[in-house]
Amino acid sequence: MSYTLRGRVESRLAAAVVALLAAAALGTALGDWWPLELAGLMIGIGLTLDVAAYHRLLPYQPGWLALPLGLVELGATIGLARAAGVQAPLAGGIAFFTFAWLAAQVLVHAALPLLHRSYADDGGELGTAGTGLALVALGVLAGSGGVAWATKPPLYRLANDVQRGPLVLDRPGVYEGGPRTVVRGGVVVRTSHVTLRDVRVEGGENGIDVEQVQDVVLDRVTVSGATLDGIHVRRSEVAIRDCVVRSPRGGYTQGIDISFGLEEPVSMVEGCRVSGGAEGIVTHYANAMLSRNRVSGTSLRGITLTEMSMGMAERNDVDGALGIGILCGDHSECELAANHVSAVRPDPASQDPTRMGYAIVSQLGAHAQLHASRGKVGAFVGGTIVRR
Amino acid sequence: MTAECAIVGGGLAGFTAYQTLRHGGLAPDEIRVFGTDSDPAGAWRTRAAAIRQRWMRSESDGHCLATSFPGLAVREARRSRSLAPLVATVLDRYHPTVAQFLEHVAELREQSGWDASFRAARVRRVRAVDGGFDVDGQGSFRHVLLAPGHPGLAVPPELEGDPRVVHAYEPHEHEDRVAVVGAGMAAATEWLNALAVGASVVSVRRREPERRPLNLPRPLFTRRGLAGFHALPPDDRARTLRRLLAPSYPPGRAWDEPIETARRSGRFTVAAEVDGAEQIVSATGFRRGFAHDHLLCRLVEEHELATAGDWIVVGPDCTVPALTGDERTLGLAGVPAALGFPAADTLVGAKYAARGFLRRIFRCRTR
Repeated sequence: MSYTLRGRVESRLAAAVVALLAAAALGTALGDWWPLELAGLMIGIGLTLDVAAYHRLLPYQPGWLALPLGLVELGATIGLARAAGVQAPLAGGIAFFTFAWLAAQVLVHAALPLLHRSYADDGGELGTAGTGLALVALGVLAGSGGVAWATKPPLYRLANDVQRGPLVLDRPGVYEGGPRTVVRGGVVVRTSHVTLRDVRVEGGENGIDVEQVQDVVLDRVTVSGATLDGIHVRRSEVAIRDCVVRSPRGGYTQGIDISFGLEEPVSMVEGCRVSGGAEGIVTHYANAMLSRNRVSGTSLRGITLTEMSMGMAERNDVDGALGIGILCGDHSECELAANHVSAVRPDPASQDPTRMGYAIVSQLGAHAQLHASRGKVGAFVGGTIVRR
Repeated sequence: MTAECAIVGGGLAGFTAYQTLRHGGLAPDEIRVFGTDSDPAGAWRTRAAAIRQRWMRSESDGHCLATSFPGLAVREARRSRSLAPLVATVLDRYHPTVAQFLEHVAELREQSGWDASFRAARVRRVRAVDGGFDVDGQGSFRHVLLAPGHPGLAVPPELEGDPRVVHAYEPHEHEDRVAVVGAGMAAATEWLNALAVGASVVSVRRREPERRPLNLPRPLFTRRGLAGFHALPPDDRARTLRRLLAPSYPPGRAWDEPIETARRSGRFTVAAEVDGAEQIVSATGFRRGFAHDHLLCRLVEEHELATAGDWIVVGPDCTVPALTGDERTLGLAGVPAALGFPAADTLVGAKYAARGFLRRIFRCRTR
């Protein structure tokens, strides 16, 4: 087809309506904004390329060219989504783009030529229908933007200096610190739908205490000097991203403890650096996904999934643990994939045969599935390990 | 309801226009078609058989349906239960066979009510009257589309009367030494035909043919290329058209390899003049211009219509401005409509003219 510029834009907007409606449906089903954000980026990139590149470079566009152009737009959309902080899962984002692309191909190669007699002659222009579709696309974008704005959680900016804790967060919203925001004595999250971002927490019994709440995000928090747990989560659903937790040596301290939330949705710990303490990241009776974390210098275990937890640990780096690198314990179901466990030291002082320098241990009726994992493994007291 | 639309010409351009009008909601009794052969592919079939054409130059959308989708590739994919035609069309490699095309025309003829609308009559005169046009005593119609087809075969004047000459579009066999005059699609097909039966071929041509997949560059099939063409004054459009309509045939090994093989063995040569060949095949297409068509010539004279070069001046929708208004329409389709759509003598061109005509009908105040 030899598109006119207007034809390109109108055909793009016709396809955009399908993508936006699908995004709205998906976003509603997931309770998340990323499908609409991704659709908006996809449409924006497509229109930009139409105007700035395709129209000039492609006086005629054969059908097969849609595929390489689609791949270029996919790469640009995913890349820009990452850069803009759109929280779209990679596989979900690619699947959504693929659906929208296929729908667009069906639309421009079959539906529009079938519904609009002169679609091909007109170079993709849709006449008055084109204006209508543009208005619908803009309407859906503006409408969803308006809803996003109206339902946006309030933003609370924390003072950019040292504050005495404990800081109690009892209203939903985004709590955002600055480069020098420090809370001494801990943070307590008492309500759901809270995001805590860019805050340093020092001291306290638990650095950050999250209890009986959902939809809590701890983003880029740094916790140090807590006397029990760096981040202490009970019967809650949290997403902890890019955190730093430093626990003091000696005593029974834990970096991140997520417990008693098996009835809650999956909690997630991603991209954190946890050092020191007895245990790095531990779950008891919880659903959890631990991904791309680095745990080092622990004196009991690096990562523990125990007490009937259901969990996945993937691409974590556990270094210098004493006794056990990763434990799947007490009737838990663990999926362990591509974790790198190094420099685990035997713990002869414990006189515990399970602690003699194992990278991975399954014990007390726990079941661990290993994918792409190396290092010494051991199964004890009814624990099983299956390599996939 | 009585017919208010007339199509003058029962060939493929008229047939395609008829399909578009039917798709636009007109019933068979609202359309009258005047022609000399009720088979819309009759004349085309004879010409295709004469040059032993097996494949269409057109692609999937080279059909007579009103909408470009579904095309012939989809039709073939459905019938053969294979994705191959669809893959080929995505790669711009799909060309239906002549047999498939003719089968499609026959099906469409049966389904569309064409025979109910068809009247066997040779129309020699169309005259503007109050609120419409008188079609050679066959009645008065508000909207008339003229699709008279090509005004006859063209033979170079210097070859007229030469007993060795046969036109490519007339039935013929090949002698041992054949001179093929021309450099377009028919000429190239004749080179291969003659070589295939063991003849030696002299290609007589004054210029090297263009090589392109379709008759014209692809942008000229859509508004992208047409907008610039329509913006030109009529005389410039006519000049551009003469340049665009220079002979061409598609690129590809299927054309080049037999010719190259024959050239190496001395069986294919190129010459500027006809020499002592036993047979001369005049692959020089058709007479060009309204002046060769009695109906169009009379229409121009009686209504003092504007012309440019060989063509009647038409608007971008292929209607004649001087005879088209709020209450009546005179449109051209097929080869005479070239000032509105340069590739007017293709199936896509016939559809383009028909859509313009249909839009005018819809816009008509009395409808």
